[in-house]
Amino acid sequence: MIKAVFVHNNSNRVSGFEITGHADSGPYGMDIVCAAVSALSIATVNGLTRVAKIEPKVESDDENGGLLKVQIPVDSDSQKNLVANALAQSLEDGLSDVALNYKSFMKLEITEK
Amino acid sequence: MLKMNLQFFSHHKGGGSTSNGRDSAGRRLGTKAADGSVVTSGSILYRQRGTHIYPGVNVARGNDDTLFSKVNGVVRFERKGRDKRQVSVYPVAEAAAK
Repeated sequence: MIKAVFVHNNSNRVSGFEITGHADSGPYGMDIVCAAVSALSIATVNGLTRVAKIEPKVESDDENGGLLKVQIPVDSDSQKNLVANALAQSLEDGLSDVALNYKSFMKLEITEK
Repeated sequence: MLKMNLQFFSHHKGGGSTSNGRDSAGRRLGTKAADGSVVTSGSILYRQRGTHIYPGVNVARGNDDTLFSKVNGVVRFERKGRDKRQVSVYPVAEAAAK
């Protein structure tokens, strides 16, 4: 079961997210839920750097997989913050759809900080 | 930057989990007193599920289908009809005549 936790700050901006666990929806190489979550989350992390031009703080376990912790810093340029938040909100939206349709393999939580 | 690894949230090769792999301990069913052996009243003769073997003379069936002796005597495994088997216990004197 994959667990995704999104942290919103008081202005309802996504300040970070943590995705842990393994989907186990199929054997290695055919685990579609894992592939979906991996694609969405990795694309977002790389998008924060390449598209939003923000350097997120990333902690991941490349050896075993199953751990991705991202903190999105607030930049002085509001345009960059806007783009970064859009990417993060889009990820949250996409993962909540995955969690909705694949309940036994993924769940999503939103916390306020 | 992260490498686009589509199996990032999947168990690694051979690491997949399975929900099988459990089994209960063997129930040690079967014969507990051999044919021709002398048993006392109440001795268990045969452990079974269902009536693999039927109770015969001086033998009763417990609620878990266990067959046990009602008298002291010698155990005899016999045929019952065309294709069934039963177990009986004959008191020693009677058994000698058998």
